Amino acid sequence: MTAPRLVEHFFRHEYGRLVAMLSCRVGVKHIEVVEDAVQSALMAALEKWTLAGLPDNPSAWLFRVAHNNLIGELRQRTRRRRILEQNAIEDIGTPENGSEIFLAGEVRDDLLGMLFHCCDEKIPVESQLVLALKTLCGFDIREIALRLFLSEANVYKRLSRARRRLQEIRPRLDGLTADQHSSRLPAVHQVLYLLFTEGYLSSHAEMAIRAELCNEAIRLAAILAEHPAGQTPETFALLALMHLHAARMTARQDPSGGLLLLKEQDRALWDWHRIQIGLEWLARSAQGNRFSRYHAEAGIAAEHCLAPSFQETRWEKVVECYSLLERIAPSPLHKLNRAVAVAEWQGPDAGLAVLRGFEPPAWLVGSYLWAAVLADLHRRCGHADTADRYREAALRSAPTPAVKELLRRRLRIGSFG
Amino acid sequence: MPKYLCIRRSQPRQTGTGGKPSPAQMEEMYAKFNAWKAKFQQNIVDLGGKLGSGGKVLTSDGATDGPFVEAKEVVGGFMILSAKDVEEAMEIARQCPGVVTPGSSLEIREISTP
Repeated sequence: MTAPRLVEHFFRHEYGRLVAMLSCRVGVKHIEVVEDAVQSALMAALEKWTLAGLPDNPSAWLFRVAHNNLIGELRQRTRRRRILEQNAIEDIGTPENGSEIFLAGEVRDDLLGMLFHCCDEKIPVESQLVLALKTLCGFDIREIALRLFLSEANVYKRLSRARRRLQEIRPRLDGLTADQHSSRLPAVHQVLYLLFTEGYLSSHAEMAIRAELCNEAIRLAAILAEHPAGQTPETFALLALMHLHAARMTARQDPSGGLLLLKEQDRALWDWHRIQIGLEWLARSAQGNRFSRYHAEAGIAAEHCLAPSFQETRWEKVVECYSLLERIAPSPLHKLNRAVAVAEWQGPDAGLAVLRGFEPPAWLVGSYLWAAVLADLHRRCGHADTADRYREAALRSAPTPAVKELLRRRLRIGSFG
Repeated sequence: MPKYLCIRRSQPRQTGTGGKPSPAQMEEMYAKFNAWKAKFQQNIVDLGGKLGSGGKVLTSDGATDGPFVEAKEVVGGFMILSAKDVEEAMEIARQCPGVVTPGSSLEIREISTP
């Protein structure tokens, strides 16, 4: 007999789903009570299901138990505080129509509603991200700390700041208006983008842990793209960008966990199905009259995905996208990336010319990225002394052994290419 | 094959949010338990269960409510296994996730049949 199986991440995703559904019904201000009720329901499931097997509809079972826990707790609180919150409690509906809710696909709306609540303008961005990870992805404080490379105390602080804001704001019970949806959409995009890049770009953690953040970001973005409130070209471009990056993720590491340069990556390892999906989203994003930073970044990713080899990359297109990106979202990092692309296109001298006269901010000067790019460009121009100086600086500021190793290989003295 | 009664004793669960497992941990516990159950399907006679916290103690003098023994020795659950000897029963129980955890113990006794 085989043990009954649940879909991957069932508990975590169910947690997010239930917290969203129940918070949207009783009001986001009760989020802590809701989270406790859902946590207890999952505990009950763990005990009951291991002994008696899975119920026919595990999601409905969890909803019923969590719902009962929540009502019980809210009633008790109401009685204790002698505050009539009866309206809120009646609003929640009965367990019987709980199963209808699952059928109606309202769950997705609730998850999305919660995402928009997390992105309230009055909550600081870093707290928005933590709140989304906690309530929508079902990560606990320790796991969030692990994924965002923060201390647990710091995560806790951010989370309580977000919750306090939700208490003060007292979001409306019947959800957000269309206006609020559209005014918060940029913030929602930003949180999803941040969630993705935390997983994709960080060089600190293990691959598996980071892939999970990327997958969560894609899952939520896909839900957003299915809802009228989120069906904008920016959302589609964001999804395209995520898929096109994620498709190449596994090829970025060698078997021992070391980082590989784009040039060294085995393109056969890229997830071509995923690239396909990314390109479909990219096609859908090409509408309307706004060209967002997500469009530019997805465009760059697509160029890399479609190039048959590193040498055959259409660098002029990549440069074009970086120029657009710089204009939409000015950042010294984008300029640096453009210099790298220009160097591939028109040679190292042209790359250095992009950076000539540019005064980078202190944080960039101190980072290995700046030093590594300059070391590489100067080396290729034959300026050995300048290249060496930057090379030493880059190695000194490398944040991890993997990055250091990569730099050593890339910036080998006397190597060409 | 002889049968063994496994009696689980544990300290009363601490309340507070600190010790609660996360959804991901619960997922893992669930998967581990099911894998264990599938592996030892033949040996599990009765998966038993958790015992309620209240109860009665019956003596010749009459009946009293619990607690029965010291709090740290409260019997929390039971399970019946069949195994060729006590060593095998111990091995099966040892592999069962969540049974022997810090703060809890498992007593394994053969059920003698006349």
